[in-house]
Amino acid sequence: MSVNATAPPPRWSDRLDRWRDPDERTLALLLLAPAFLLLALIVVYPIGKLIFNSFFDMRLSGGRVPRFVGFENYLLVFADVDFWNATKNTVLITLITVPGALVVGLGLALLANMPFRRQWPVRLALLLPWALPLSFAGLIFAWFFHTDYGVANDVLRRLGLADAGEPKMWLLQPGWAMAAICLTIIWKTSSFMALILLAGLQMIPRSLYEAAEVDGASRWQQFWQITVPMLMPSIVVALIFRTISALQTFDIPYTMTRGGPGNATETLAMLIHKTTIDYLDVGYGSTLAVCMFVLSLVITAVYLKRVGNAA
Amino acid sequence: MRRAHFVGSLAALAATLATAPQRALAQARPIAPSTATAPSTPSKPSTPSRPVKLRVFAGGANQRPDLMRLLFAEYSRQHPHVSIEAESGGATSDLQRQYLSTVLNARDPAIDIYLIDIVNPAQYFGAGWLEPLNAYLGPPEQVMKDYLPAYQRSNVIGGQIAALPAFADAMLMYYRRDLLEKHGVPLPRTWGELATAARRVLDAERDPALQGLSIQGAPIEGAVCTFLLPYWSQGFEVSDAAGRLTLNREAAARGLQQWLSLVDAGVVKRNVAEVKTPDTVNEFKAGKVVFGIGWGFAWDRFASDPDSRVRGKVGVMPVPAMAGGRSVTCLGGWQWAVSAFSRHKAEAAQLVKFLSSRPSSRLLATRGALLPHTLDIYTDPEVLAAVPWFRDAAAVIEGGRSRPASADYGQVSDAIRTTTSAVLARTKTPEQGVATIASRLARVMR
Repeated sequence: MSVNATAPPPRWSDRLDRWRDPDERTLALLLLAPAFLLLALIVVYPIGKLIFNSFFDMRLSGGRVPRFVGFENYLLVFADVDFWNATKNTVLITLITVPGALVVGLGLALLANMPFRRQWPVRLALLLPWALPLSFAGLIFAWFFHTDYGVANDVLRRLGLADAGEPKMWLLQPGWAMAAICLTIIWKTSSFMALILLAGLQMIPRSLYEAAEVDGASRWQQFWQITVPMLMPSIVVALIFRTISALQTFDIPYTMTRGGPGNATETLAMLIHKTTIDYLDVGYGSTLAVCMFVLSLVITAVYLKRVGNAA
Repeated sequence: MRRAHFVGSLAALAATLATAPQRALAQARPIAPSTATAPSTPSKPSTPSRPVKLRVFAGGANQRPDLMRLLFAEYSRQHPHVSIEAESGGATSDLQRQYLSTVLNARDPAIDIYLIDIVNPAQYFGAGWLEPLNAYLGPPEQVMKDYLPAYQRSNVIGGQIAALPAFADAMLMYYRRDLLEKHGVPLPRTWGELATAARRVLDAERDPALQGLSIQGAPIEGAVCTFLLPYWSQGFEVSDAAGRLTLNREAAARGLQQWLSLVDAGVVKRNVAEVKTPDTVNEFKAGKVVFGIGWGFAWDRFASDPDSRVRGKVGVMPVPAMAGGRSVTCLGGWQWAVSAFSRHKAEAAQLVKFLSSRPSSRLLATRGALLPHTLDIYTDPEVLAAVPWFRDAAAVIEGGRSRPASADYGQVSDAIRTTTSAVLARTKTPEQGVATIASRLARVMR
């Protein structure tokens, strides 16, 4: 191949050389591109589309053409009693079930961490509720609390704590229905908490406890002075995961009460599902979903700032 | 016996599709002098030489796609150039509506014919999803004249035929004939009389597990009818012909109060807000209910299920009215509609005409106890031999009304059923409940 040395080389070969032997910056961009494209496809596009849809009147039920309405849907959200009711229920469920699952999960993790000779039965029992699908757990507990056929009323009756003629209607009274749902969620999610905390517990060196014992520290002091501080990073991780999923609570109340009685146990995720799937109002449903997304972001940010700093 | 019916029905089907439909029908069905779906103008014939494949959505299990497939097979046998693919799914009307709305919104031409619930033609036709059938079958006054009036109203929209009925359905009042006869209790005509009748049976039977009346109070579609039955019987409507809200709040509150009074009288169980359609069916079937309100399909369960304890002991009567009112029931039922996006509309319209014909209805009645859409089939001796209770059902169906038609029926239904359930759970008073329903419906039905 003869090349005239005095003539400037063609620009394309210059570029090709840069691709063949890229500098570090280009190389980094090249290597990151596939991951970025994938993320854009599965994260940025759906979220972007959701936000885009939230500015439209997109009611599919009557064959209407989508119409740009600006912030009208957002103004409707603020005046929507169902939205505020669902937000209240969601926050309530989060405030009750996250600490509840933490306490129960910590207990389970401490139990599983004890030096049993055979540890697998304890760990299997710990894993089972976690392995059950959420809606399955909801249906099981809905049966537990059924007025006529439920185990809860049967046990109370056998213990002489309830009148056979006046069975308790657990899922038909707003307070009790909410309590039953929270109990189910705590039962279902404590295992997940326990698993993360168990991993944390196993990272704590035994030597710390041995040293504490030599120094004459009681079990209680060991728990507060060694276990809790050493476990804090795991607790924060578990709390963040659990809080985010608690804000998205759907399956258990949906299968237990369908949001009833009335709308007393309807969560934000259920309201979004109802608006989008039952009412086919995609625009307003998207707006509600954006509001829930913002709520999750705010709460997570506060968490990371407050709890994260403490850890 | 049943096989003979089936062969007979197929013979009648073949006759209907013969080249001279009027004469052939007269020969095959001497008791049916006119044909329900005969068009007044010749419909566009399909070209026999060109093979056509039609895809049909045939509903969920309660709509008996198994029987619909028999009809499809028969049609294909008579029209060898038409092959029919059936699709089924969606256990409830709600689930089917969600699926179909998505498919139709996407203007998908893959499905040519849809089986839709009675609450849907208004929405689908209004959205431009259904092909008007006048051009293929004839003017509505001719085509629809023999169908039950409620199905004429629901399926003709603005002078256009939106769909043809497949089979009827209604909330029926089932009762334990044996118990009422045993205690000499006459059939009640008002809710007050029903309370007295049920109390007499309950007091005499002394079975703590026996319920006087079972209705659906859980927030499901059945609860919409639970709200409407006592309301309608006072002579009021929820909406006018233009679809505007005309709810009479006092009458609606009286209706809800009526249910609470029946709970207080110990006739309806206290946890009625938990009761779903299968609960009523199963508890009635177990012999634990004196009066039960349920859809037509329940009859087959009471009569044929191996674990039924009420076989031969069940009667059907008109739903009682409020004092001074008139008995009205809540109509259901399913319709065949041609997709506006179909590529074979003329052929699809001919198949729909066949599926909605008298012989098809007769087959669905004798083989699956699906209620006919035409009044005289209820008194057809052949049909009555297979399903004797149709004699009692005719009067109930005739007095039926459809739930309010709206393009946003999902919201209408949700507003009514959720609030009705809350009132029955006593978390709202009837007046509060009606106020909630009124304000929610006012937003949707403008």
